Amino acid sequence: MPENKNRNEALERIMNHLADSVLALSDEAMVAEVIDSGGDPVVEAEKTGNVLQQASQILEQVTERLSGLGHRVNANYWCRVRSAYHNNCLKCGMAVSFRTKTGEILGRAAALPCAATGEYRVAKMVND
Amino acid sequence: MSHLLPLMDALPAGELAACAPSARTQSINACPKSALLVEGDDGLSTFFRSFLSEEGYVVRIASNAEEGLRLYRDCAPYTVVLINYCLPRTEGVGVDWSGESQSHGVELAMAVRKINPSQGVILAAFDFRSAAEVPRPPALMHIPIIVETNVSHLRMVLEKIEVDRAIKALTRSDQLRLQHFAKYRIRGLGRAARDRDWEDLLEEALYRTLIGATDARQGRHWNKKVDLVKHLEQAMRSIASSWKRQFKEEGTFLISELSRSDGDGQEYSPVDSVRSDDASADEHLIEEEDLALVFASLKDDQQATEVLQAWLHGLRKEEILSKYGFDRKQYAAIMRRIRVKLSKPKNHSGTRNHNHARE
Repeated sequence: MPENKNRNEALERIMNHLADSVLALSDEAMVAEVIDSGGDPVVEAEKTGNVLQQASQILEQVTERLSGLGHRVNANYWCRVRSAYHNNCLKCGMAVSFRTKTGEILGRAAALPCAATGEYRVAKMVND
Repeated sequence: MSHLLPLMDALPAGELAACAPSARTQSINACPKSALLVEGDDGLSTFFRSFLSEEGYVVRIASNAEEGLRLYRDCAPYTVVLINYCLPRTEGVGVDWSGESQSHGVELAMAVRKINPSQGVILAAFDFRSAAEVPRPPALMHIPIIVETNVSHLRMVLEKIEVDRAIKALTRSDQLRLQHFAKYRIRGLGRAARDRDWEDLLEEALYRTLIGATDARQGRHWNKKVDLVKHLEQAMRSIASSWKRQFKEEGTFLISELSRSDGDGQEYSPVDSVRSDDASADEHLIEEEDLALVFASLKDDQQATEVLQAWLHGLRKEEILSKYGFDRKQYAAIMRRIRVKLSKPKNHSGTRNHNHARE
């Protein structure tokens, strides 16, 4: 065991080696290893897929909702605090947040039109 | 016809033939799915051409409204018209994209408009308020429709289309690899992970990817020559390092990090007398326990312990093989034993549970 002051680095170094090592595993070896560890590869794989899909969907939903209400946020300003991502409209300052795991979209910017926007919608013309 | 020549010269031979009036009807019958794309941005044009071509469309592209109108009039009908609302307006061009010029009408219109009131809305017929309002045949229901948005949003949506495709194409082992990579990376962060778990790291990598499409300086641009697994792995690496750096920059110190020795060799801390309910002490203990757990769980496996020690001394794989006389097969087997041992629930303290929220 390393000395106290190096323990942070030691844990990181070991885990990073292990992280890199899984990337080199063949498909069969990866699945077999999960089974040997007592896991269910189907369930675990599905969980990963769900995490990615949910993350992909909610960011678009938030962006669409904000755009529809006339808000504009800097995508790089999404700040994660306590399992939720937060941001503010660049024009009116209203706050918005979302949680990926629950799919919640919260905040005034997600509910109210942007107070600082002067744009308007052109009425739809449909040839029905 | 003379005004069409420059544009038609620029068209591929097949499309040029399709635009000739005599061949039009025949072309329509031979290829019922045709698309007109009016888009000034080369990147978007390329993307949509590829996207629609994959769907079986013959795609014609105009880089401005005038060209678009010519192609619309002379090569109609189209089943898909994709229009960028922010194209420069040409005086006197009264555009009617409603389908009256076509015998069958436009089945699908995708409209992209910059939110900028100063720019003329030249294609009001397609000012739908939501994608649900855009008429389209059932065969095209799965095509994302972007309505009334700005270009950066569009880029993100387009990136999402590609990301979603890549996510769907991930194999089971790809998904497992990503998960396990994220788990090890987050566990290696120790208390710098705070309340984050592997899901947070993977989510963040995906967010950065989507955001990276809008601006290369923001987020993490996905180079499509690299597969998604490799890209997300690199993103997670970078994000984990950034979280670690951020944790250090915030200047959170453990009491143990402030320890000093007195003249008798006894350690003391300048904050010994200060009461605190800060969770960092607990976190540090758990981190220590985690490291101890790693070694304890492998104490009966001498080779595994040697490899762990070698890593701590910064030895690379080749150096480890040489020092301990392992061959590659043995080394791979040792690695596997370490991973399997540490992946078992009793040897994993679980980042989400032990890292207290301190933000």
